[in-house]
Amino acid sequence: MKAVAITGATSGIGLETARLLAREGFCVLLAGRCAERLSRAKARILSESPSARVACFQADLMQQREVLRAAAEMNAYLDAHCGGRLHALINNAGCVRSWYMTTEEGYEQQFALNHLSGFLLTHKLLPALLKSNGRVIMTGSASHKGIKIRWDDVMLRRRYNPLTAYKQSKLCNILFARGLNDRFAPGLRAYVVDPGLVKTDIGNKETGALVHFIWSLRKRGGVPPEIPAETFAYLCLKEPPPDGLYYYRCREKKYSKEVTRENADRLFALSERLCGLDGGFAAQDERAGAV
Amino acid sequence: MNVFITGAAGGLGRALAGECASRGYNVFLTDINEEGLNRLKRGLERQFGAAVAAKYCDLTDPRSFDALLAHIDAHGLLFDMVLNVAGCDFEGAFTEREREKLVQIVLLNNAAALRVTHALLRRRRPGRRFAIVFVSSLASMFPMPLKATYAASKRFLLDLAMALRQELKAEGVSVLAVCPAGLATTDETLSSIRAQGFMGDVTTASLEDVARRTIDLALAGKNLYIPGLAGRLLSLLGKIAPRSLAAAVVYRRWRRAHLIRAEKIRS
Ligand SMILES: NC(=O)c1ccc[n+]([C@@H]2O[C@H](COP(=O)([O-])OP(=O)(O)OC[C@H]3O[C@@H](n4cnc5c(N)ncnc54)[C@H](OP(=O)(O)O)[C@@H]3O)[C@@H](O)[C@H]2O)c1
Repeated sequence: MKAVAITGATSGIGLETARLLAREGFCVLLAGRCAERLSRAKARILSESPSARVACFQADLMQQREVLRAAAEMNAYLDAHCGGRLHALINNAGCVRSWYMTTEEGYEQQFALNHLSGFLLTHKLLPALLKSNGRVIMTGSASHKGIKIRWDDVMLRRRYNPLTAYKQSKLCNILFARGLNDRFAPGLRAYVVDPGLVKTDIGNKETGALVHFIWSLRKRGGVPPEIPAETFAYLCLKEPPPDGLYYYRCREKKYSKEVTRENADRLFALSERLCGLDGGFAAQDERAGAV
Repeated sequence: MNVFITGAAGGLGRALAGECASRGYNVFLTDINEEGLNRLKRGLERQFGAAVAAKYCDLTDPRSFDALLAHIDAHGLLFDMVLNVAGCDFEGAFTEREREKLVQIVLLNNAAALRVTHALLRRRRPGRRFAIVFVSSLASMFPMPLKATYAASKRFLLDLAMALRQELKAEGVSVLAVCPAGLATTDETLSSIRAQGFMGDVTTASLEDVARRTIDLALAGKNLYIPGLAGRLLSLLGKIAPRSLAAAVVYRRWRRAHLIRAEKIRS
């Protein structure tokens, strides 16, 4: 059974994607911050796909130590049940904030969860992915267009705008995917899915009243999360793996001109530093990212 | 520039530590949360290449604090600024609180701040200006039923800052009291901001702004910083309204919220 790991699998796009992939016969590794919601997701998947293999990994992925713990548990699971191979990793966990808030490391939360957590998790799962010629898929967003990375103040501490921080984190998703392809394709392929506007509660969690209100109005025009789930399934199933980078409704789509090799390299270097990967992204140093 | 920061692993302390590190200052961080402290140290080093020292201390325990000072003196560290951020906040009716929990508020918010400030004043860098910052609260502007001890402890810091400022002026020491209202730092503060709806949005100051302005104002030798327009308006009200009236109004506003919460806990 091929394995797929999905972060943020307890609601919204991640949950629907996990359900669909389980129906397609994948062994699904669910990562989420809340143990109770994880077991509810697992029960739901098993109720509709009784023969599915589902494993849960509870972790607050905003905190690097939790990413490392979850990654170690996932690797142990993959070794025990999947021949140490991971067919696909879906870095989907994401959040929206109204205010500048930080993680234990003092990193801005949207940057930390939407980008860095996926970067660090991918690093830790890289051997399992390479072993299986695997795929890494980020949940991006069309909102990544029209902005640039603020290299001199990437956490936007000097002029914080929560929406800009969100958009920038989504631009990071594509730059990260681009950088992965530059380094590892065809041994590994990385993609970004633009889910479109989706009816989920992402803007209603941990946000202030204004963002909550605007999102409640906006999401009414969104599609159900089953729709973007199909694009994730397409990118997991398609053989040979598609060549594109950015997909919307199972089709390639144009992305920002900011997505260049140079910017991707710059983001890699920065993210390696922020995750403490002193030996670089590919090196599996036991102490790397120690926290 | 050497800066000493208490309560560094928490929301505002962490933001202030980041602000100082981003300016290239050397920071000495302390907190009771040792793991959080070490993670922040690593994060600041990675983000800013900053020089960061971090050491656990229970500031309410004189022996723990002596150990911290021994460590500082063994390294011959001297400072230009001290940020008293560590503080705790329990709300609820006075008689319903555990006795020692109430006393703890004063031990940390007041006694520890005295301990730290006194010790750091003796460890100034010679011949240079020195800045002391006390993180008080907007709660210092009013007597606050159902948060009586906390508000009084914050009042203590405000008055202490005003008085010390005069005493120490001639020595080139400035004293700043910071009085924030809502800041989205912990799960609890976030949920209480959210519970207030749009009012919560209006009264919430942005953490990174407060951190930046605090350091700017401390360097400029200012004595009082109340973030946000809503905060300044409320503090003005606190100044003109008779204190007994202010207490009555606060009590009426909070009693309901308090009863609802008590009901929830019971059920
Ligand atoms: N909705 C849209 O229109 C839209 C558009 C473009 C892109 N996206 C992207 O789609 C992705 C999924 O969002 P969604 O719309 O499906 O919203 P969602 O339902 O809120 O999903 C987010 C997922 O991330 C999890 N999560 C949040 N914080 C976490 C943390 N600290 N650690 C671990 N997991 C955490 C959530 O867990 P809980 O279940 O515990 O909350 C949830 O499972 C995000 O990356 C988002 O940026 C969404």
